Amino acid sequence: MTIAAEGPHAGAQVPDLAGEHVPDLAGVVPVEAAEVAPVEYIGLVTRAIAFAIDAAVIQFVAIAVAGTFALILSVISLSDELDTALVVIGSVAYVLWLVGYFVLFWSSTGQTPGNRVLQIRVCRLSDGEPPSAKLSVLRLAGLVLAALPLFAGFVPILFDDRRRGIQDMLAGTVVVLAPPQPDP
Amino acid sequence: MSSPVESALRTGGSLGVAVVRPLARGMSGAAIAGLDAVLASRLAAEVVDRVASSPLAGRALSAALEGPLLDALARDLVRYRVAERLMSDGLVEQATARVLESEELWLLVEEVARSPAVTDAIARQSVGFADQVAGGVRARSRGADTWLEQRARRLLRRRGTEPPDAVPPPDSVPPPDAVPP
Repeated sequence: MTIAAEGPHAGAQVPDLAGEHVPDLAGVVPVEAAEVAPVEYIGLVTRAIAFAIDAAVIQFVAIAVAGTFALILSVISLSDELDTALVVIGSVAYVLWLVGYFVLFWSSTGQTPGNRVLQIRVCRLSDGEPPSAKLSVLRLAGLVLAALPLFAGFVPILFDDRRRGIQDMLAGTVVVLAPPQPDP
Repeated sequence: MSSPVESALRTGGSLGVAVVRPLARGMSGAAIAGLDAVLASRLAAEVVDRVASSPLAGRALSAALEGPLLDALARDLVRYRVAERLMSDGLVEQATARVLESEELWLLVEEVARSPAVTDAIARQSVGFADQVAGGVRARSRGADTWLEQRARRLLRRRGTEPPDAVPPPDSVPPPDAVPP
């Protein structure tokens, strides 16, 4: 089934990267299912909003957990060395939470909660599947790299035909539209 | 001057009235007391229940509603300004205040608010509203994507609405079993 995509990418005919596998019907695959379907690559603003939602979720959880621990520790007198150690442990836990959040969501469904709200998903360019955990880590590293030079790494999204940033080019991923599938 | 016969009749009448009146009064009191006793009895309640639940009562009510009774009642309500009198007497306010003060009302409200139907409806409304907001954000953000790209490309003297080379190279086309519907 071929339908013209909307927006600047109208007319694009590519494999549908947003869907699910065709069920195995004893070797009989409908012709329509094997044909290409439209895909809409997602631009900078939508991705920024999705990232902001994710950042809000991450920070809310982190602040809630850190606040709880801080309250508990406030009634216990700790030595300076232990205090420093706790700060280090907290920092490591935060980084792990941050990395785990993105890697887990990207590699499992391709959608973080922010992506789900905006109905977009991250997938491999080659087959439309969610990136592996390794690729997800690479993509996250690319995200950090893209943000370091005053967010210059995101500028290619504005000019690339598939709207890919540095992180996408590094990991071989794209961000596409993923409308919710109707219930069977 | 009245004759002796008339005088005798008048005296007899007065005597009769003096005797019959207390008797009649006593009989009326006894009849009312008997009626009260009957009305308070279980039998009367049973009779009323049976009549009220009988098809006859339904037919009577239907006939009354079909007939001119309802129209006459409505006309009388208007003619005697029943609603205005109730409002001016403050009866409605008093009744409302009394109802609002009653604990039963708030128990009822609490029960209704806790009922699954109401909570489901509220949840559906909330989800629907959130979906509506998210849909608005999605539409606007995609418009902003396009706008920003056009501006950026125009800035660099590139075409803004160029269709992409979105078809992946042949070696990147997924195997048939991986192509989603």
